[in-house]
Amino acid sequence: MPESLIPPVISARGVVKRYGRTVALAGLDADIGPGITGLLGSNGAGKTTFISLALGIRSRDGGTLEVLGHDPAVSGIQMRARIGYAPEHHDLPSELAATDLVRHLAEMHLLPHRAAVQRANDALWLVGLGEERFRPVGAMSTGQRQRVKLASAIAHDPELVLLDEPTDGLDPVQRTEMLDLIRRIGTEFGMHIVVSSHHLEEVERICDAVVIVEGGEVVHAGTLADVRRGPEGLVVEVDDRADELAEILTERGYEVTVDGATLRLGAAEGIHDAVRDAVADLGIGLRRLGPRGRTLEDVYLGAGK
Amino acid sequence: MSAEPGGARLFDLGYRSYEGARERPARAMATLAVFTARRVLGLGRGGRHKVLPAITLAIAYLPALVSVAFAVILEDLPVDDLISYGDYAFITGSALALFTALIAPEALCPDRRSGMLGLYLAGPLDRNRYLAAKGVAVFAVMLLITAGPLLFMFVAFTVAGHGPSAGESPGLLLRILASGGATALLYASLSMAVASFTTRRAAAAVATVLLLFVPVSVVRSAIESAGAPNALDLLSFPFVVADLSYRIFGETPDDASPVRELSTGLVAGGVAAAIAAGILVCWLRYRRLEAFR
Repeated sequence: MPESLIPPVISARGVVKRYGRTVALAGLDADIGPGITGLLGSNGAGKTTFISLALGIRSRDGGTLEVLGHDPAVSGIQMRARIGYAPEHHDLPSELAATDLVRHLAEMHLLPHRAAVQRANDALWLVGLGEERFRPVGAMSTGQRQRVKLASAIAHDPELVLLDEPTDGLDPVQRTEMLDLIRRIGTEFGMHIVVSSHHLEEVERICDAVVIVEGGEVVHAGTLADVRRGPEGLVVEVDDRADELAEILTERGYEVTVDGATLRLGAAEGIHDAVRDAVADLGIGLRRLGPRGRTLEDVYLGAGK
Repeated sequence: MSAEPGGARLFDLGYRSYEGARERPARAMATLAVFTARRVLGLGRGGRHKVLPAITLAIAYLPALVSVAFAVILEDLPVDDLISYGDYAFITGSALALFTALIAPEALCPDRRSGMLGLYLAGPLDRNRYLAAKGVAVFAVMLLITAGPLLFMFVAFTVAGHGPSAGESPGLLLRILASGGATALLYASLSMAVASFTTRRAAAAVATVLLLFVPVSVVRSAIESAGAPNALDLLSFPFVVADLSYRIFGETPDDASPVRELSTGLVAGGVAAAIAAGILVCWLRYRRLEAFR
């Protein structure tokens, strides 16, 4: 099916949410498609509020919202049975064994008892807690609790998984393992995943698409491929006399912007040869010459301005 | 998967997509109710969680066991010397209050404290269904102590052919269920209302005990010294429960409580109003509660 015809997993139009006088979401518009999508934004940007509206736990003050084809405010119960959710907080019933907690939540998501027992064990093995599954959650580390939450979110084989800051509190090694795990779940088992995070590199590493939220509004949305593609042209980095190089190229009719030792040039006929000649004429060292492109950081920082 | 020479195979499929049947959404309520009931009774938990429920249940059932034992062993013992059904709520009033103070706080408070409420509401439950499941669990466990001993006596006296009302009253079973059910419903709704105000079990337990016993002396003082209407005695819940039990079984207590002076209609209305108030307070609290963090 052409990408344009695939229905979005979550579709939001003008979604508004207020807490008293504070506007948490100010007319948020977003289409979240299949695959793994990063919900990126600083703390307080409205990510968790958006997740709570998508789950139908909170009611919105305006706009329309569809999740898996349902309005969460109308048919939340049917919709939530098909969703897995891992909250940001690490508080879980401390005395329950991990396997009991995951099984209980799988049963709460309408799995028959026997299937819930089996799948709780399978999910805990998948997240790397097979040997630890009978330990009380209260005796587990933050990293292990994050894995228990992930296992709880996927044990009932949901269509959509919402993960709120799944790497919060993890050390770099644990963070890498968790990201690999999320990527694997999204690609191997066909679940659509929305990962809320304020870490650019996490989203860039595992997501197919990104929705950047700031101040309760979407400031950028699209696939990571679109983000990286960016404007056409070249980026040139030299070790000295960048301003003189820019002047020469401008005189020759090319569009140039300078940022320290880095020049960004618009796409044009013969641009590669022109840069080579100008650098040779000036006798300076060329550190980098490549397609212009963008990083998620460029987009994120640009969106914040 | 590996093939053995004898034809046996080992399957290690691990996590995979689920193609099997799924339950109806109502099943989530039943799952939560059973889970909660087991939790408050300490089932499937460590030994320390079983101690208080076990002691309370033992206190509640002991008079019934003793009464049945006397009825079986001493067949010549006059029936009037055995504990009557109407007496039971009065005799076990303290155990009932203690049990009430344990159950609803254990059923409600930890979910809010541990964030489980948010996880439940992120599944196929809404706040009303969540509260209904919790209410059913608390009510069912309360029945263990309000109707359980009476049902035990009813069966034991009937089998022994000796004891109060044995084989005499065809409506006795209904009276037992009505008495036990009304008491369980009243105490469940009141204690759930109290527990909805705090995330701390101990605070909720203490507040429940205070709600049950403080009005007993306060109301009497208000009536006797300030001339307040006698209907205020309806706030003396232990007396109301005991008196309601006597009225349902058609018995006259040896020591009449002040509630005895009120009409049956007023007592029944007062109990219904207290149950409704408890449910309403709890519902309003949960409607406004921030469950998501």
